[in-house]
Amino acid sequence: MDYKLRKAEPKDVSDILRLVKELAKYEEMEHQVTLTEKELLEDGFGDTPFYHCVIAETQGESSRDDPRVVGFAMYYFTYDPWVGKQLYLEEFYVMDECRGLGIGSEILRHLSDLAMKTRCTGMMFVVAENNEPSLQFYKRRGAEDLSQEEGWRLFRFDKDSLVKMATPAEE
Amino acid sequence: MNFKIRAASKEDCKDISRMIMELAVYEKMPDQVKISHEELQRDGFCQNPFFQCLVAEVPEEQKSKEGCTVVGYALYFYTYSTWKGPTVFLEDLYVMPEFRGKGIGKGLLSKVAEVAKKKKQCVHLHLSVLDWNTPSRDFYAAKGAQDLTVTEGIHVLRFDGQNLDNLANEAPKD
Repeated sequence: MDYKLRKAEPKDVSDILRLVKELAKYEEMEHQVTLTEKELLEDGFGDTPFYHCVIAETQGESSRDDPRVVGFAMYYFTYDPWVGKQLYLEEFYVMDECRGLGIGSEILRHLSDLAMKTRCTGMMFVVAENNEPSLQFYKRRGAEDLSQEEGWRLFRFDKDSLVKMATPAEE
Repeated sequence: MNFKIRAASKEDCKDISRMIMELAVYEKMPDQVKISHEELQRDGFCQNPFFQCLVAEVPEEQKSKEGCTVVGYALYFYTYSTWKGPTVFLEDLYVMPEFRGKGIGKGLLSKVAEVAKKKKQCVHLHLSVLDWNTPSRDFYAAKGAQDLTVTEGIHVLRFDGQNLDNLANEAPKD
């Protein structure tokens, strides 16, 4: 199967949302995806994008077939005050039927290359500990599990807690 | 104690750098701090800054033993959730030991939450804490934070140094 990697364009938002939902289903969290195509479009392709996306697209069986978007990676830049810019890999997914063809490896290689070129000293991401295939995929390639090795825990404040904290205190 | 929370300016970078090191010492990883206040200035105060920073300042008459009036900081940036949209990551929150217990930490955290909600309609605020850092874990839990490493088994992973280099240079076989 021939495929190519390219930068996402505004027309790709419906495919991106489709793949986001497929990945959420794999993680058993499909009901949590409340983002819409419109929001993805505004947030990724406006004046100051919140994210960037790389798309894996296959050519159909014959030249008459439309190309299909079969994988994607969504990333943005974060900052570690100890070592500087980082590339944060927010989402990374290849459709089930297109796995084992090297698409995932090529996306990861492309992102690592981009990280080096944009002066990032690391590439960071999270994985659920019960996601053995993904954990192994990354560890085989040299990723360090900072939660295991250094004891970092990820915390989250949800909307209600944020609203409570944002209200100025009486003190 | 009187204190003021304000947006950091370029001139605050020396103080911020000093406190970054103090926080790294507290986290028992001072040898991991590789960047200087000049790099911080370059990355935080350019056209498209890579982070935002708030500082907590006390009046001259309440300055620290070493003469510092900038006594705390919060460093954060905007991130994105494919489920919910814009989010905030609070990378560092620190108050100098002699100024703790006076509401400065809470003040910094509230200000970050306020900016997140008002400026970007962020729906989540994330941060990471070391497992042995009970005072911090308790501080955030009391304010409603959920430990995703416990509840969802989330682990933080990183490629850096030679591993990042290797990855960039080859496409390993699965």
